[in-house]
Amino acid sequence: MLRVQNASVFFPGRDGGVIHALDRASLDIDANSVVVALGASGCGKSTLLNAIAGFLPLSDGRITLDGQPVERPGADRGVVFQKDTLLPWKSVLDNVALGLDFAGLPLRERRDRAAELLRLVGLEGFAKSAPHELSGGMRQRVGIARALATDPKILLMDEPFGALDSLTREQMQELLIDVWARTGKRIFFITHSIEEALFLGTTVVVMSPRPGRIVARFDLDFVRRFAAERDVRAILSDPAFGDLHNRIRDLVHRPHHATVHRGETLQ
Amino acid sequence: MTDAARTTTAPLAEPTARPRTVALRPFGLDGARTGPISAVTGFLLIAVWFLVSHYRLVTPLFLPAPGEVAAQFIAILEDGYAGATLGEHVSASLLRILAAALIAASLGIPLGLAMGLNRWAKGVLDTPIEFYWPLPPLAYLPLMIIWLGIGEVSKIALLTLAMFAPICLSAQAGLRSLPIERVNAALSLGATRWQLFRAIVLPSALPEILTGLRIAIGVGWSTLVAAELIAATRGIGFMIMSASHFLATDVVFVGIGIIAAWAFAFSYGMRLLESWLVPWKGKT
Ligand SMILES: Nc1ncnc2c1ncn2[C@@H]1O[C@H](COP(=O)(O)OP(=O)(O)OP(=O)(O)O)[C@@H](O)[C@H]1O
Ligand SMILES: [Mg+2]
Repeated sequence: MLRVQNASVFFPGRDGGVIHALDRASLDIDANSVVVALGASGCGKSTLLNAIAGFLPLSDGRITLDGQPVERPGADRGVVFQKDTLLPWKSVLDNVALGLDFAGLPLRERRDRAAELLRLVGLEGFAKSAPHELSGGMRQRVGIARALATDPKILLMDEPFGALDSLTREQMQELLIDVWARTGKRIFFITHSIEEALFLGTTVVVMSPRPGRIVARFDLDFVRRFAAERDVRAILSDPAFGDLHNRIRDLVHRPHHATVHRGETLQ
Repeated sequence: MTDAARTTTAPLAEPTARPRTVALRPFGLDGARTGPISAVTGFLLIAVWFLVSHYRLVTPLFLPAPGEVAAQFIAILEDGYAGATLGEHVSASLLRILAAALIAASLGIPLGLAMGLNRWAKGVLDTPIEFYWPLPPLAYLPLMIIWLGIGEVSKIALLTLAMFAPICLSAQAGLRSLPIERVNAALSLGATRWQLFRAIVLPSALPEILTGLRIAIGVGWSTLVAAELIAATRGIGFMIMSASHFLATDVVFVGIGIIAAWAFAFSYGMRLLESWLVPWKGKT
């Protein structure tokens, strides 16, 4: 289990002040769950993810993964970035195999494993391509395959589909659900889109800015339903989906006036 | 069936030949063919030279005829000049510049990278480099000669110093241009420090390093010739200098032509090296 306990982050601000980017955030990510952090720009979502990834030390609080404190980046936490970070001098296949290279696997083995992952994300025909020959959505899929290659305990995704058009985005969401259903990975996912959050999350945490706080938490089952029935329309037309959408919108826009209280759970 | 749902299909033209392939419109030149234009320009310049010397518009002492220069080139090729064969002059110059380039690169690249990574390396090395590198190399050539003698060592040391700075500075610039996301991505794929350096840092900095190397070689040629003009008994620069004492303008022309040809060959080689080592350059 990944456990965030009372995590706080202060950044140095201008004129000697401080910016309270994250305020005592607590979060558990259990096996087989997708936790989505949702909130307006600047509410500390990336800050939280960077801390979990080990890129950013906490000012206060602690993060543990299966009991081990998280201090630095490591292969047990795979990260998918919003901006693509593929290496332009490596082929798609070798990009996916990068983590296996670091782990010291022999060439044959890492190529086989990378090819398998490319198949998983539907890019088996592009193994030899250069990253710049792929579209944004395809590159993001390579990024997901690369993060999965080292078989991390958790996948951290910071607005991975934020730069994609809405059609590609829907395809990518379904792809991610496939990957999740097949690999059973835990996922921590950041988004601005309420719909995306509701569609993907087994848990959605809503955050509010200044200071960055988790103001509500919802447990959902739309994603499990989708994984079982594969019927997007049934989910989108479910009154519960529309209801939640409205409530979360109120919460995101007016976090301090909304009638939902911190820690609320909804089945 | 509503009208709005009707679709039309244009009749397909029969594919006859290979379709026209296209690419993104570039900004700037980006590999547009300039070869023919340059060739014609070169041809015109030589034609002007022919005409000027043919009609004796300038005295041959200042501008020898192309034929004379060519004849002189063959003569030097056969008999040598100023106590050495042409091959000896050329190889003396090449040896100096290649040795210096090798030393400068093998010091400049690691030190530049270290300066980009380490506070102490940067702090300590910045002072001497910032002090010496704006100086024209010829200003400290006399010092080199006093310290290291008139032989090869002083000239190679001078060239090494002149070529070191651009290489070292470009390696630092290469590190500065490394996006932190790329580093973080590698770290969360389990890279050790050394793997991070080999797989991410070095290749990311390579385009800048090669640019620095190109600049360094340009600086190297100008410094080399200048140094040979002042203190040498072999080398193309020396050949030019001693010819000028006898007002042998045609020999001076031959020397300049040889330097130009070699400098061109070097920059062509650098371009090949670049397209081989960093084919991805400019493609994010
Ligand atoms: N390195 C930093 N130095 C100072 N302030 C920072 C730094 N990084 C982030 N902040 C501030 O911390 C707050 C939270 O930033 P964060 O990037 O976590 O927001 P976010 O929720 O990810 O926003 P977005 O959705 O726009 O990506 C913001 O107010 C931001 O200005
Ligand atoms: Mg962010």
